[in-house]
Amino acid sequence: MSAFLAAIGYERWILQALLAVPLIGMALVIMSPKEWARVTALVVALFEFVVSLGILWVFDPDKPGLQFVTRVAWLPQFGVSYYVGLDGLSIFMVLLSTSLMPLLVWGSWHQIDFKQRGFYALLLALKTGMLGVFVAMDLFLFYCFWELLLIPMFFIIGIWGSGNRRYASEKFFIYTFSGSLLMLVAIVAMVWIVGQQTGTYSFAYDYLLAHADLLRPQAPWLFTAFALAFAVKVPVFPFHTWLPDAHGEAPTAGSVDLAVILLKMGTYGFLRFAIPFFPAFALSPAVTAVVVTLAVTGIIYGALVSMVQPDLKRVVAYSSVSHLGFVILGIWAATVQSVQGAIMVMIAHGLSTGALFFLVGMLYERRHTRLIADFGGVARVAPLLATAFSITAFASIGLPGLNGFVGEFLVLLGSFGRFPIATLIATTVVIFAAAYLLWAIQRVFYNPLANPENETIRDLGARELAVVIPLVAAMVWMGLYPQPILRRTEAAARHYVELARPHIAPGPGAAAGPVAEAR
Amino acid sequence: MNALDLLSPIGVTIALLPEVVLTAWIMVVLLVIAWRHERVEDSYLAGWLSLVGVGLAGVAVAVLWLGGAAPAGVPYMVALDGFRYGADAVILLVAASTILLSLRYVDRQRLLAPEYHLLVLLATDGMLFLAGAEDMIVLFLGLELMSVAVYVLAGFDRFRRSSAEAALKYFLIGAFASAFLLYGIALVYGATGETNLVRIGERLASAPLSVLAGLGLGLLLIGFGFKVAAVPFHMWAPDVYDGAPTPIAGFMATGVKTAAFAALVRVLLEAFPTATAVWQPVVAALALTTIILGNTVALAQQSVKRMLAYSSIAHAGYVLVAVWAGTTLGAGAVCFYLFAYSVTTLASFGILASIEHVGSRTVLVDDLEGLYSVRPGAALALSICLLSLLGFPGTLGFIGKWYLIAAAVSEGQYILPVVMVIGTLVSAGYYLPVIMSMTMKPTRSLEAHRQVRFSWAARAAVAVAVAMILVFGVWPTGPLTTALKSAETLGRGTPAVLTGHR
Repeated sequence: MSAFLAAIGYERWILQALLAVPLIGMALVIMSPKEWARVTALVVALFEFVVSLGILWVFDPDKPGLQFVTRVAWLPQFGVSYYVGLDGLSIFMVLLSTSLMPLLVWGSWHQIDFKQRGFYALLLALKTGMLGVFVAMDLFLFYCFWELLLIPMFFIIGIWGSGNRRYASEKFFIYTFSGSLLMLVAIVAMVWIVGQQTGTYSFAYDYLLAHADLLRPQAPWLFTAFALAFAVKVPVFPFHTWLPDAHGEAPTAGSVDLAVILLKMGTYGFLRFAIPFFPAFALSPAVTAVVVTLAVTGIIYGALVSMVQPDLKRVVAYSSVSHLGFVILGIWAATVQSVQGAIMVMIAHGLSTGALFFLVGMLYERRHTRLIADFGGVARVAPLLATAFSITAFASIGLPGLNGFVGEFLVLLGSFGRFPIATLIATTVVIFAAAYLLWAIQRVFYNPLANPENETIRDLGARELAVVIPLVAAMVWMGLYPQPILRRTEAAARHYVELARPHIAPGPGAAAGPVAEAR
Repeated sequence: MNALDLLSPIGVTIALLPEVVLTAWIMVVLLVIAWRHERVEDSYLAGWLSLVGVGLAGVAVAVLWLGGAAPAGVPYMVALDGFRYGADAVILLVAASTILLSLRYVDRQRLLAPEYHLLVLLATDGMLFLAGAEDMIVLFLGLELMSVAVYVLAGFDRFRRSSAEAALKYFLIGAFASAFLLYGIALVYGATGETNLVRIGERLASAPLSVLAGLGLGLLLIGFGFKVAAVPFHMWAPDVYDGAPTPIAGFMATGVKTAAFAALVRVLLEAFPTATAVWQPVVAALALTTIILGNTVALAQQSVKRMLAYSSIAHAGYVLVAVWAGTTLGAGAVCFYLFAYSVTTLASFGILASIEHVGSRTVLVDDLEGLYSVRPGAALALSICLLSLLGFPGTLGFIGKWYLIAAAVSEGQYILPVVMVIGTLVSAGYYLPVIMSMTMKPTRSLEAHRQVRFSWAARAAVAVAVAMILVFGVWPTGPLTTALKSAETLGRGTPAVLTGHR
């Protein structure tokens, strides 16, 4: 397989193809007749997915640096280039994104019943933007992709969303836009500061990283600008208020895309840009204290608020705030374990929360309500749906043997040395997580079947099983055998830790030294 | 065609080729409409003839630009540099689009009179003079030629009170501004004994800025402030844009602004490059207030046209950020941004002009509800324009904004860019509702948008503009390089003592 892929020059064109295929697909969808739009989108999505699989073979897990690199001058006078590449930090986000595509189309099959061409076209455009964020290695290009995907998401929420959709879409847009605008100024300033001292004005990631020392005098506000953009996206605790609205009102595909990819762009941004560029400031005791406090607050707060939500979709939405707190904690702990754990949580949360949103969407299609109180005893009429939901919920809670456990465990293990108290507090969330999800499951699926409307709920059909089964299988597989993922992310995590380590003030548990042996 | 002697009649004629060609053509059009001005077709004929005139002037600009004409020694009266040609190109583009957008509009709104197009040509001629002026006197003449024509255009809808009000308001305040400018010119002349910009620069370089010259500079800034509608000299703009025929509102928001900014940058960089300590704080203050006020007041507008009026005030603030830099990069950014802004704003006004009901001048945000389902093309085009005004990546507006930020940051200025992006954020609050109204709300009634008709001329103008927004938004290398190069030639012929210090 590898030999074949090498022979067709896979490494050279794959990223370009992944970015271009959705756009071509978008044009095809717009031109196709109305009833064929979803079929066209599905074919494009499947094609993209199959093509992207080769990355698993070609990717060399032992190389810490970028692979699949392509670099073409774009605006040469201004040091902007089309510069893309992949490494251990981004490979699984790209794969997650491409493998999700067919499921998204399939999951929207009947739910989207008007303006279908527009919907699938935007869904594909969104994909290009998301993939672009993870592969762009030029900050100008990165910023373009980062902002570009706002537009499709804005329309997907605003046109095909439920009830309060216009409010949610505008809030989503303005929140995320406000974060990223300051990042634009910071990017321009960085390039200028570095350029003035080295004589080369370049937006290339590695060039700026190599000269990150020059940025040190300006680090506080540059970091703040970046951190704000990423913190809104994650979302870190006080910046999270857009998320329940956006998640709650978006159509299923939108919620899933938000949960699986969009939120991860924030944590990816911290790992890739904010901390490596300004490690001394970002990991200084004061900033660390603030971030860790916010992360732990988010973990606990998300879980507690989740517990009292009457709307099933909002339960899942708030649980994201909680899960992503773990990622932030792991990133700031900066041990190989915690960083790998953070990446694992990113992937695991993508799978389980994505699946939960799909399942909630399926419930909604049947009953046109998402209020927990309207349900009860659904397991009796729809056992498959109940089983799938339960497995997914267990994965989300972090039951050993399923995917959620691996990442959260690694984060807690890796962070304990650095932040013992914060980690201890964060650990308690496992109880809350069990509480809010199990309680929700109980009220939706297992209480007596009191409401006669629930008696007619159909069980999962073949199309829906085709969406759910791959996700559940991936959860189980990741939980039992995470090695393939850990192996491919290790070099990048190690690289990140080496970069961060010198800037960490020795804390109470600085002896977390030989981290790798623990695994 | 090198080293033109600007003191010889032939030399000046060649140097003024675009203006001369346009003026001659105006005479031709004037003769034609004196002879034929009664029927509907005559108005169309005048429009098409005017368009030809704009094209001829464009050819003349191209001849000068590609021919690389340069003055022998100090440029007297008129500049021969890329900055002038760049501004000219934008102005002619604006004029051509305005005519295309107006052809059917004046017919539909019963403003038929062939003089309409002639006045657009006259204003354009004035703008060309203004953008190319190397001498305070030429500058003032150009400004007046432009302004007087635009006063008349603003009041062209003589059956409507708001239009008359707009014209009178614009005339009174414009005359006021002209007086400031003239007084400023007089004071600067008193201080230096020169009216030529380069010579003024030479005189001022040798000694610290006198009080007289400083006062003159201040008055000049006030005069320009009125013309570009910078806060606190903006009061006239919303009412005038609202009352004027819509394509003319677009013309004023883009052409007048472009010409005035080109002249302002030239005056500051050629005549007052040594006085940055005096004018930079003033420009910074103007930029700050303009961005903040323009954006916040735009939030409260219900009428799309008034919203665009306030947004155009905010955009003037953005341009001032690059003017503040006072560098070649800044001048290039101004040039590029004016191009980006003009293309986008004109297209927006053009779309609005076609949406307007006959006899009514206001389009409320709510009037656009559900436009997408009836007229998807128009809704899509307007959305793209608004996103470009918002400065969204993938559009021309983003590249322009990025360039402005770069110009300010390169001079170590961070406050202005940050205020600018905060202003941009606020602007999302009034651009988005328009887009949402068009795409996300249901149409009020089936008939609501049926009567929206785009003439093919307007369609072509808007399509070209939108194509430019998208294509140059992704591949901006061509216009970017042109803008930068044109800025580099600014003040060519200026003694090296002056240009070398920054």
